[in-house]
Amino acid sequence: MNHWLEFFVHWASSLGLNYGFLLDAYPRSTLAQGALTTLWLCLLTIIGSLLTGLGLAALLTSGKRALAVPARVFIEVTRNTPTLVQLYCAFLVLNMLLNQAVGTANPLTPFAWVVIVISLHKGAFHAEALRAGIEAVPAVTLEAARSLAFSNRQLLWNVQLPLALRFALPSLINNLIDLVKMTAVASAIAVGDITYSAIMIWTQSDNVLELMILLLGFYGLLSFIVNCVGRYLEARLRMPGYGH
Amino acid sequence: MPSIESVVEPLVSLRDVHLAFAGNPVLKGINLDVYPGQAVSIIGPSGSGKSTILRCITGLLQPQRGQIRVADTRVDALTREAQRIELRKRVGFVFQQYNLFPHLSVLQNLMIAPRKVLGRNRIDAEKDARALLAKVRMEHKADAYPGQLSGGQQQRVAIARALTMRPQLILFDEVTSALDPETVGEVLTVIRELTQEGMTCVLVTHEMRFAEEISDVVYFTENGVIVEHGSAEQIFEHPANERTREFLRHALGAPARRGPIVSDPYLLTNLSRYSLSV
Ligand SMILES: Nc1ncnc2c1ncn2[C@@H]1O[C@H](COP(=O)(O)OP(=O)(O)O)[C@@H](O)[C@H]1O
Ligand SMILES: [Mg+2]
Repeated sequence: MNHWLEFFVHWASSLGLNYGFLLDAYPRSTLAQGALTTLWLCLLTIIGSLLTGLGLAALLTSGKRALAVPARVFIEVTRNTPTLVQLYCAFLVLNMLLNQAVGTANPLTPFAWVVIVISLHKGAFHAEALRAGIEAVPAVTLEAARSLAFSNRQLLWNVQLPLALRFALPSLINNLIDLVKMTAVASAIAVGDITYSAIMIWTQSDNVLELMILLLGFYGLLSFIVNCVGRYLEARLRMPGYGH
Repeated sequence: MPSIESVVEPLVSLRDVHLAFAGNPVLKGINLDVYPGQAVSIIGPSGSGKSTILRCITGLLQPQRGQIRVADTRVDALTREAQRIELRKRVGFVFQQYNLFPHLSVLQNLMIAPRKVLGRNRIDAEKDARALLAKVRMEHKADAYPGQLSGGQQQRVAIARALTMRPQLILFDEVTSALDPETVGEVLTVIRELTQEGMTCVLVTHEMRFAEEISDVVYFTENGVIVEHGSAEQIFEHPANERTREFLRHALGAPARRGPIVSDPYLLTNLSRYSLSV
């Protein structure tokens, strides 16, 4: 491992890039820790945002105004304000109020706030994608299921959701790729994700360019992985001949 | 049939059924009887309420007035989902647009309802599904997806799918209207075989020759009322009502007598009053 690292540092120096700091234990472990934190953020917000999206889409398509209207208001407010501002609002205002109310018993760490804010924010986008998918399921297909004696529940799980998910999948993957990049806002409230770690290192030494390249490469790789998973799912869920 | 009718209870009976969509009356007092083993056809112009009648029979729509009975179930009085499910286990429905599940293979389309709804095990359900596919001559397409089949093939699969529930009664709603003329025959052949086996069928159709051939009773509807009903011979050979005669003249393709244009020819309703979708 270290051998490869030395080789890389040596090779990079021949290109005029100084990655010598990677050989120091402290910055290296800071970066590794940051990368791990970003991975956790991605994983939790992917799950959280999809659950939020599913819940909101269920409210939107429930056909009950009392449920659909609040969901719609939440989505519009969330979609139309910047994530960074939402995060500041949540962390600086809500968190402070929470602190005042319960003091040190406040269970919400900055990390938790990032997970919540991004999950809700991206959940709003997922909800719109899923709603489009649900509405794209032909009414006659549902009628066919009903006339085969499906219960509403069986109809939802065996026909409506499988089809809606297929229609929504490209948009959902698009949202998730955006979500990966969005986790960088965590650095704004000093959650030690990879962006924050990089900032910490470059304020102490002169290696902004080298860290930038690392950061871009890292986020690029994560997005690429999400993209590949999306492609795989699309291929798996393909409906041969549909729409031709 | 009258001799049978006097001793056997009808499997389906509609009495004075009224239904309106948002105040727009669509069924205005429908009376209809289907006896076990009969093939009953409903013919009539587009928009006359034929599909609505079929939807009422299987509880997809609820009439505002009147009685609908299927065997001993009062369909118009069903209130709970579980009751509708029990009804629909016994009544098959085949649609104009096939409405197969596009994300499932042909075999899965035939297995999903028996497995999920009737709780049958995989092996039995598959055996049944394959046998029914053979019956509609689609066994070679068991692993294909609906999107990969022609219209006629999809419709035969849809008929087999309805049969997997072993219904007492099958409703066919213009099942050949979306098909190419060449493939209409293959679907009609399947339906003909079913009626010959004694399956009780209600068909909404624009295939007049076919209706004449296979029907025990034919109902002619217009504007939400049954204008006339009787045996196939009676309706097709000796229609009593002028409306029926006029409709059949157009539908059977006989050279229509064109009277002088009395009404505005640009009015859409006059343009294609009896335009048929076959
Ligand atoms: N869900 C619905 N909502 C409102 N109007 C409907 C609906 N379904 C059918 N109708 C109307 O009811 C009339 C009869 O429709 P339908 O039963 O489909 O006729 P047919 O099958 O004889 O062509 C038509 O005028 C149609 O526009
Ligand atoms: Mg119709």
